[in-house]
Amino acid sequence: MNFANMTDYHHFPIYAIMVLFLGAFIIAASGGKPSKNPNNPAGFRAWIALIATAASLCFLAALIKPVMLDGEVIAYWMGSRGISGGYAIGIALEVDALSLFFALLIATAVFVSAIYSIRYMVHDDCVPQYYVLYCLLAGGVLGLVLSGDIFNMFVMVEILTFAAVALTAFRTKVYGALEAAFKYLVVGCMGSTAILTGVILLYAQYHTLNLAQLASLIPGTMNNATKLAFAFLYIGFSTKAFIVPFHPLAADAHGAAPASISVLISGVLTKSGIYGIMRLTYFLFQTMGLGRMQFMLVFIGSVSMFVCVTMALAQHDFKRLLAYHSISQIGYVLAAVGLASALGVSAGLYHAMNHTLFKGLLFLAAGAVLHETGTTDLGKLGGLSKKMPHTTVLFLIGAFSISGVPPFNGFASKWMIYQASYQKAVDTGNIGFLLVTIIALVTSTLTLASFVKVSQSVFFGQLPKEYENVKEVPFGMRLAMGILAALCVVTGLFPKSVTALLTEPAAKAAANVGNYITSMGFKTSLPAVEVSFVEAGVWEPINWLLILCIALLGVTIVAVAGKYDHVSETTSENVETKYQLFYGGEENVYSQVGGGDLFWGFKHNWRHYFDFMHKLHSGVVNDYALWAVVALALAIVYMMIAL
Amino acid sequence: MFKKLIEESTAKSPWLFHINSGSCNGCDIELVAVLTPRYDVERLGFKLAGSPRQADIVVVTGPVTKLSLDRVLRTIDQVPEPRCIVTMGSCPQSGNVFKGSYSVCAPLSKYVHVDVDIAGCAPKPEAIIDGLAKATEILKQKRGQM
Amino acid sequence: MTASIFLNGLQYLGYILIFPGFLFCFLCGMLLTGIDRKLVARMQKRVGPPILQPFYDFFKLCGKETIVPAAASRTTFLMAPLVGLAALVVIQLFIPIRGFSAFSGMADIIVILYLLLIPALAAILGAAASGSPYAGVGLSREMVTIIACELPLVLVLLAIARTVGSAMGTGLCFSLSEIARYQVENGSLITKLSMIPAAVAFAMVIPGETGSHPFDTAEAETEICEGMHAEYSGAPLAVFKLSHAVKVLTMTSLFVALFFGGVGTGITAVDGVIVFALCVAATALFISFVHAVTARLKIEQVFKYYWTVVSGLALVSLVLAWYGL
Repeated sequence: MNFANMTDYHHFPIYAIMVLFLGAFIIAASGGKPSKNPNNPAGFRAWIALIATAASLCFLAALIKPVMLDGEVIAYWMGSRGISGGYAIGIALEVDALSLFFALLIATAVFVSAIYSIRYMVHDDCVPQYYVLYCLLAGGVLGLVLSGDIFNMFVMVEILTFAAVALTAFRTKVYGALEAAFKYLVVGCMGSTAILTGVILLYAQYHTLNLAQLASLIPGTMNNATKLAFAFLYIGFSTKAFIVPFHPLAADAHGAAPASISVLISGVLTKSGIYGIMRLTYFLFQTMGLGRMQFMLVFIGSVSMFVCVTMALAQHDFKRLLAYHSISQIGYVLAAVGLASALGVSAGLYHAMNHTLFKGLLFLAAGAVLHETGTTDLGKLGGLSKKMPHTTVLFLIGAFSISGVPPFNGFASKWMIYQASYQKAVDTGNIGFLLVTIIALVTSTLTLASFVKVSQSVFFGQLPKEYENVKEVPFGMRLAMGILAALCVVTGLFPKSVTALLTEPAAKAAANVGNYITSMGFKTSLPAVEVSFVEAGVWEPINWLLILCIALLGVTIVAVAGKYDHVSETTSENVETKYQLFYGGEENVYSQVGGGDLFWGFKHNWRHYFDFMHKLHSGVVNDYALWAVVALALAIVYMMIAL
Repeated sequence: MFKKLIEESTAKSPWLFHINSGSCNGCDIELVAVLTPRYDVERLGFKLAGSPRQADIVVVTGPVTKLSLDRVLRTIDQVPEPRCIVTMGSCPQSGNVFKGSYSVCAPLSKYVHVDVDIAGCAPKPEAIIDGLAKATEILKQKRGQM
Repeated sequence: MTASIFLNGLQYLGYILIFPGFLFCFLCGMLLTGIDRKLVARMQKRVGPPILQPFYDFFKLCGKETIVPAAASRTTFLMAPLVGLAALVVIQLFIPIRGFSAFSGMADIIVILYLLLIPALAAILGAAASGSPYAGVGLSREMVTIIACELPLVLVLLAIARTVGSAMGTGLCFSLSEIARYQVENGSLITKLSMIPAAVAFAMVIPGETGSHPFDTAEAETEICEGMHAEYSGAPLAVFKLSHAVKVLTMTSLFVALFFGGVGTGITAVDGVIVFALCVAATALFISFVHAVTARLKIEQVFKYYWTVVSGLALVSLVLAWYGL
């Protein structure tokens, strides 16, 4: 093998996966002795992890041009064992724009989180082991989205579940970490088993595990066994995406895991679930043309959206709140993807990307708060903006993004989702899709509300006595947050470039199943589809920002020239009291308005709903396992009837 | 030009903050009476503010009891300059019938500079309006000196 | 070439600074609130303050001292009012006056809906940054009011998008300038049966969005000491008062643009006067009158009212629009 051959970009997908596993292997082989540097207990192992994730990101970024822009689908047979006798006998990687899109998201999140981990993990022991699991998790997810083989997808699901469960339990001293890991293990294993069952059912009938070949064989030959397989696979990937009814797991797992891992669980693992569902519905079974299938995804998406945002409103813990928002945003993605229109898929993928960015940022900010204060309880924190100004600004960027405040990225994608769902309603004449638009818009406001709650409870308001010596987090952690914040702003300001470069190729790939099949060397009768994206509204973030900046500049100049913060010489004898807060004349005491119940005016009207939800989410793993079984049963029944 | 404009505006838009320092409620009712349709001081720009930060004129009623003294002084401190302190009714000026009581600290002028005293128990609404109008003049002067 | 770019730039700068930007917003907004105060006073059989009273208040506050509490986050506390004001003025630039709009094709009604959040958010963050517990209670109520108003607003805007869109054959139309053009050609939207409940619902949202009686729970001066503005004094408070005035103008002119867009002559200057007259009428009817006859609601009542009565009306409108009435 010569060097020119090795640098051929067709090898890059496998390199991207391999470096991560190789990194895990090297770190594991180097033993578990912590280094003496108090700022980096993992020593060189942290750098190995960082280099591995960076290399992986570079390999994938190099694929943007051939795959995204030129529309090539990379089919890669490992060991050059390909098709024999019409059947795929080798293991394949197949990278189309959809795979690459998710892979890029994953690699970015993993890389940024690795930067963050170096300084974040200083208080922990067993940090070398952390990096082993970290690389395994990253490699597992990347392998899942790049794989062209359904059994390998299952293998990768197992690897990532294993790593994720271990990492959830990593901080064994944290209250509830082991319990959360156990819940995750139980339901996660049920999900993995469901995937395996689905794979077996498919293999028994079609004698192949290759995704492209299955996609060429399954449509038109659907029987009850195939439908059963579909239901199993769907539920399996649902547990990975944590969508309703698997959302309580996410809250526990995110809350207990270290923040750098929460980023991966929320930004990366959930995406792998969404990717799996998209591969199933768009490629393998090609059922997205069916109204009932669209209904199912849109329905579950909308329910996830709304239920999880209300659950988030009721949370008292920073990270659990973020976890529920995670699922709420995944609901947006699923609903948009389920619309099965070009604009919908593009919008959904755009939102998936944005979710990785802003939720990563928010989890890192939560981690920064935890790192400095040792708690994420909304009822105990307050006033940190004076001590951690940079973290506050970065958090606010993330909060604005997720709440869809223009001009940040969350708005751009949500705005596309509203249009796509409304357009779908108009096109099909089905008023049900209109409901999705309304739910999405209301959910967005509720999201804003709960982030106002967080900013009031954690960053603004009054500083409790015990946090008076809190310092800003180290530069390494701020750098990681800064990268994500910059990406949030950029992807929000240039929505047209982002869609043209990333999401539209991916949406086109989702529509062109025929291309996916033929690229792998199989035959199909599916025609090539032309996809067009039509938007009904207009939004020019750059121009808007320009005008706002001019306006703001004008106001600020006038304000500064007019001595805006003018302070007179005081005539009162006691200057101290003048700058105290007004407490109705009383002396200042610590009284922070914040915590979980900040929006009582809203919650009062919904008290019956919240009571019901409170009873439903018992926190008992048996219940959640039962939910999984019931969900599986319902899915099977629905598939049998609907398909 | 702006200085002149601001001075003129200061005279036309004095916002009141009312502190009850243990009053019998008579003066408080009279103060509310000047806001009613019959006297309507809002036509002169007067308005009751909810927070001392927004007030120009602090109206103190009551004989300044020991417990309230601290609170009165703290609240007055929290009013931004230029400001005007008005005592209303005889109590904060002399202690009135409560004079000599162990728990009364009147007069208020022992502790803080008082700009206008409105006498009476309770003062007539006309007297209150007159006193407030004087306070606005002082406010305008103070603004001019800033 | 450079000269024309320069002239264009100057024209846009003129839009931003004079009409329909800052100067216009300042004068008209203040005038609207002045008229509102006078009307309320007259309805209560008082003489009331002069119509120019908001101007006096504004300039007086500019001349006062600014106290930044020691517990506050200084930058956020001082910048919040400015950001809110700038964002509001920018929204005003997008609202068409009959056919004329300063910056068309840059934002649609969904964007406007979200842009309206920014000033409220700025006020909330400023209040949060002050550290006062009164402000904390105030911002909680303000946020709930925003949630309450959002649902009916969404329904109204979707109904309009559907009505205009189906009439124009595109299915749905979010663009504000398209909606304005449609009304100029086919008459105001209020003349359509399906739009009447929507107009009523929108009118009910105006006092909630502008925070006036009976929905002013967030700034209840008698119970929570001006709520969100409890710690604001001097110039920042003046900017907040100005923002409130501009918000009254924005909401009423949005109402006029959405439902009475067909009224006018085609001459921009005359139309400006007509639109302003309609804004005054809307203020009188939906803010002053409501203010004079109601007492303040509790926050959970505000929420309930908006999510049942007002949303119900808006929903009726949406369903009617959906079936093409």
